[in-house]
Amino acid sequence: MRRLYFLILLSITITAATASNADSALVEHTSLGKLTLQQALRNPALHGSCYQMPFSQLALGLDWQHQSTAFIPEKGDGYTLPYLEVNTYHHLGQRSTVWGEASYMTGKQHGVKWNSTSDYDLLQPYILADTLGGDTRRERYTISGGYAMAINRWSLGAEMLVRAEQEYRSRDPRMRGIVTDLTLRIGGGYDFKRYRIGAAIEGNIYKQTNSVAFYREEGVIPEYQMTGLGTEYSRFSGDKRSLYYDGGGFAVILHASPVNGSGPYADVTLDYHRYHRKLAEFNSMPLTDLYNEHVGATIGWKQEKERNLAIFGHIDYTKRTGNEHVGGTSDARYFPVIACLTMYKGHLLDTYAGALYGNGQWHVVLTAGYRDGREKYVYPHRQMDASHLYGKLQGQCFVRPSGKWLLTMNADVSYRAKIGDKLQMPFANMDAAITRLIQHKYKFATANYTDVGAKVRADYAWKQSRYGLFAELGGGMTLCSASEHQAVLHSSIGITF
Amino acid sequence: MKHFFQSIITIVLAIAISACAPVEDDIFTTAQITVAAGDEVVITRVQAQVKLTNVNTRQVTTSADFDGASLTVEVLRGAYQIDIEGVATCQSPDGRVHMHQFRCQSDYTEFVRDGQNDITLNMIILD
Repeated sequence: MRRLYFLILLSITITAATASNADSALVEHTSLGKLTLQQALRNPALHGSCYQMPFSQLALGLDWQHQSTAFIPEKGDGYTLPYLEVNTYHHLGQRSTVWGEASYMTGKQHGVKWNSTSDYDLLQPYILADTLGGDTRRERYTISGGYAMAINRWSLGAEMLVRAEQEYRSRDPRMRGIVTDLTLRIGGGYDFKRYRIGAAIEGNIYKQTNSVAFYREEGVIPEYQMTGLGTEYSRFSGDKRSLYYDGGGFAVILHASPVNGSGPYADVTLDYHRYHRKLAEFNSMPLTDLYNEHVGATIGWKQEKERNLAIFGHIDYTKRTGNEHVGGTSDARYFPVIACLTMYKGHLLDTYAGALYGNGQWHVVLTAGYRDGREKYVYPHRQMDASHLYGKLQGQCFVRPSGKWLLTMNADVSYRAKIGDKLQMPFANMDAAITRLIQHKYKFATANYTDVGAKVRADYAWKQSRYGLFAELGGGMTLCSASEHQAVLHSSIGITF
Repeated sequence: MKHFFQSIITIVLAIAISACAPVEDDIFTTAQITVAAGDEVVITRVQAQVKLTNVNTRQVTTSADFDGASLTVEVLRGAYQIDIEGVATCQSPDGRVHMHQFRCQSDYTEFVRDGQNDITLNMIILD
């Protein structure tokens, strides 16, 4: 009973001390209230006017994940990834804003199987794979910077993002993937009556060199050139272990939102990226082309006054088209391409409706949606579909126990329930290992998931100083109806300035 | 302002049109395989199994549906290795009819054209 009284007293004390002055830079930069601008912030012109207060942060952190068994074998069953990151957002005057970010991450990806290629989410299903796998080491450098300026009713901005990453394994099979990813954005905005209308275009260049080596005397295992849903390009599988990906694309981002914060808003994004997989050892023979097309649209209404309120609907549709090049007869290690066939088709529809409510100190976001994923390999026919309904509740609260301390608390809970599934495979003609892979992937693609997560951040600021210290700790648990689970942990410490 | 909107709409439409992935859904073609035994011998009937192995995917297509000395089969566009083994009824120039066990083989044949792809293979008589 004493404990109960203590908790009630503590709650009352904390509530009474809740920050009434919410105009701290941290609150402005991390508030859930900015959720309605999530898509539009890809426009650097808008990014320049999105925040009023400057904010910079240097963080040393650790991301950790463990799955009881890999939900997606190609991505492994967990990771331990320490990182160092610095980001800044600064106004250079009334009209100009700069921002930037630099980070270094190194660590381990655990239990990766059926994948010897980096950036699986981007390049799947056209990856190099083997049955053995193992832990991989990852190292990633990112740097980005942007500049925006406002001239009367116009605003202009540009931004550049660079990512260099390498992933490798120091025991057989010794995979290595070296990635270079460059993105450039330019955008503009115009204040028209009570609306800010913006448009931005984005260009991207992507390269990855990918190889697998075997050093041990015990011999080698085949590396498969995967082509989707357990199929492989047999002619160039086995001992062809050196390839590269050559890709890139562009995007268009359009948005309109009320300048004074109240009224309807909308944004549309169109993305188009293609990735060519080429065999390095056969005069860059093209093996496959992957085309990722995405359209996203949001429409909503928001009010940003003493109380923030927003209701919104969002739709994301992603189409993945895979073309296979048919190699002809070789002439001095040169293979002419005699035909090109569209063999892989993937569709992902994610649509949700949501509502946001809160004020400067707290926000609650409730979303409910429908997600439908369909994958098809044309011949011999293979198909894997899964559709889910989901709901998610997120909460955020800023609490100021004293003048020097600020606590940021986040929590979320979500549930994803399967409502439909379909699997068609020529199991009678499939290799036993591939059959196990497909059954494993299908089990997790069609499972129900319950997620809970929480994160607490404590900021300490010295009086009359722009420097502060912070520490953040977060964790989450995912329970899967396939009797498996996932745990995640995030922690970081650093300084704000 | 009007020009601003027009420019945006033009850019978006241009990108949307040019961004479509090239799709090649016409993935099948027809292969007509004819068995031959020289200019002077007429093959009247063939009873044999044709095995078409896709050189790139190692997928195997089999058929025994001969019409005279020819067989027509729909296959995935690509390069194939062809193996035929069976029995053929042949008529020699002097009018005599013989039955022969035979086989035909081709290590590399392309079936990639629209419409029909014709290939003639000379039989190797085994008896």
